Amino acid sequence: MERQEIINGLVEILRTVRTVNQEKLNSVTEETDFISDLKTPSTEMINIVAKIEQKFDLEFDDDDIDDLGSKIKDTVNLIIKTQEKG
Amino acid sequence: MILDKENLTGVHPSDLMIHHGPTKLLLDKYHWHSPKIGIVASYSPKSRDVEDHFGLFRGVDQIESCAQAIAGSCNGFLECKKEGLEPLELGEKFFPRFISIGQVIFHNYLEEGDTFINIGYIKFCKFRQIVSDGRIYKVAKGIDLDEYFRHFTEKQLMEYDLSTDFTLVAELFDVTGRGIKKERLNQK
Repeated sequence: MERQEIINGLVEILRTVRTVNQEKLNSVTEETDFISDLKTPSTEMINIVAKIEQKFDLEFDDDDIDDLGSKIKDTVNLIIKTQEKG
Repeated sequence: MILDKENLTGVHPSDLMIHHGPTKLLLDKYHWHSPKIGIVASYSPKSRDVEDHFGLFRGVDQIESCAQAIAGSCNGFLECKKEGLEPLELGEKFFPRFISIGQVIFHNYLEEGDTFINIGYIKFCKFRQIVSDGRIYKVAKGIDLDEYFRHFTEKQLMEYDLSTDFTLVAELFDVTGRGIKKERLNQK
């Protein structure tokens, strides 16, 4: 799966999250930050990660989520890493 | 030994909630517990709990007690099982963090010597984070809580199906807690 395809999938998820700044979703890049750019409440991040698991049919390790950075590219990297692990 | 247990009934809260010292642990006993569903735990406010507060148990302590029961205890038990660690070992790696709470509605009050139950269920549990709803009920004098909850069911828990011996004190929504790695304390 291409990185841009993953980003598009993430944006689709974020459009369902009321607390995310929806206007900013029109210009999401790898450098976009969930917290500082999209104003995602940190408490919402776990719910978003759970939705990502569902959408991409993955299961993340707890430790990976502990260490996950707040930029879009961090999540893209984790998705790719988890997909590669199979 | 938590790992040998199917649930928390019979376990003393201090044996699981090891980070809470005696003056901050607001649970006396677990009466019913289904690990992936929810819990019933009781507490009787002590004199220290009502000191400087006109003899009443503070609302914020009600919230803390309920969070210790539903979020802290349920999550702690599940993590012990998942990691294959006893609470002391788990406590070396993780710390319980109260993340957030939604709406809280207080209906009644509690005094020193009253007994109340925290009763609640898990709505979400993943990545060491737990979201739960719960209620606090004051218990009529003389009720044997172990006996009352001996045959309690998950359906009764979800519906807060209790007898008139229990008086609603508070409703709590979206009580959220998370086990975080110790090295991440004071970060994000």
